[in-house]
Amino acid sequence: MMKAGELEIGEAKSSTPISGVNRGISILDFILRILAFVGTLASAIAMGTTNETLPFFTQFTRFRAEYDDLPTFTFFVVANAGVSAYLVLSLPLSIFHIVRSSAQKSRNILIFFDTAMLALLTAGASAAAAIVYLAHKGNTKANWFAICQQFNSFCERTSGSLIGSFVGAFALILLIFLSAVALSRR
Amino acid sequence: MGDSTTIDVESKGKAPVVISKQEKVGGNKKGIAILDLLLRISAMVSALAAAAAMGTSDETLPFFTQFFQFQASYDDIPTFEFFLISMSLVAGYLLLSLPFSIVTIIRPHAAGPRILLLILDTMAVVLATAAGGAAAAIVYLAHNGNSNTNWLAICNQFGDFCQKVSGAVVAAFVAVVILVFMIMLSAFALRRH
Repeated sequence: MMKAGELEIGEAKSSTPISGVNRGISILDFILRILAFVGTLASAIAMGTTNETLPFFTQFTRFRAEYDDLPTFTFFVVANAGVSAYLVLSLPLSIFHIVRSSAQKSRNILIFFDTAMLALLTAGASAAAAIVYLAHKGNTKANWFAICQQFNSFCERTSGSLIGSFVGAFALILLIFLSAVALSRR
Repeated sequence: MGDSTTIDVESKGKAPVVISKQEKVGGNKKGIAILDLLLRISAMVSALAAAAAMGTSDETLPFFTQFFQFQASYDDIPTFEFFLISMSLVAGYLLLSLPFSIVTIIRPHAAGPRILLLILDTMAVVLATAAGGAAAAIVYLAHNGNSNTNWLAICNQFGDFCQKVSGAVVAAFVAVVILVFMIMLSAFALRRH
């Protein structure tokens, strides 16, 4: 019985440093989640409010540029809005992990959804980046004209909104790592 | 003396129960590791197929006009070059990670290789998704064109090129789905019991 008692004290001593590190990981997780939410929301808003009308017009080119002229940008706005909504909804679960650092099933669920959202966000961001690159440079082989030469502020806005999206994607990657590390420490 | 013999019998009776629970957990983790290996091989095949389909997508039309290019290849469009390089990198990474996957089968309780594979798989997912998404945007544009920006749909002329490139994008997304599933398996197998 004495040996059983000593074992119990020993287990309590060795488990508090691990649960302390897990708590630190959960707090970092919460902060990163807020950062990713801000990034993706800013991206969605920046892309969604693009609207440039040129003061002149020619016979062949359009004189107004909006984000829904290009379906890829529409997908980008929808993807970013979806991911930022998910991040807001996952904040309570993150707070629950700070309070109870040894939860395993909920961390698994969080990793699952984080990975799915990362794939969605990266697909949207990279598709928009491809179109922005095309808008800047054009393509002579396919006879695609570089529209940035006319629509300067539209181009700047769309290029800038990509940054927020990539910041959100990077934060999601770090979130997946943190959850995996917290899962493997017990 | 009688007490000590009964205690011995009790402890001998209890010990096999404890070992078999750990063996069962190890067996589960080993099964997950074998599934991970199989998925890794199929993801590698898919990524390789995507890179190969994009790399061999040359097409030369038998006629030509004054204004349009009569030859289409993946290196006419920088996004497709990025796609080819990224999918080759993902396929190469998946090939090189096969030994680590085999290590997780042999030692199912070790967390180190699993965490390493999870981190590297996440980066591979991001790379593959970025390549697939960017190429999908260009392929969509090539199929449909865009009247607002005066971008013509080149697929109307280059049918074979478009088919090959679209197939490459589909294979890339198949690889992405398999990779996402592998990440979730690794996270599930990391749980400590």
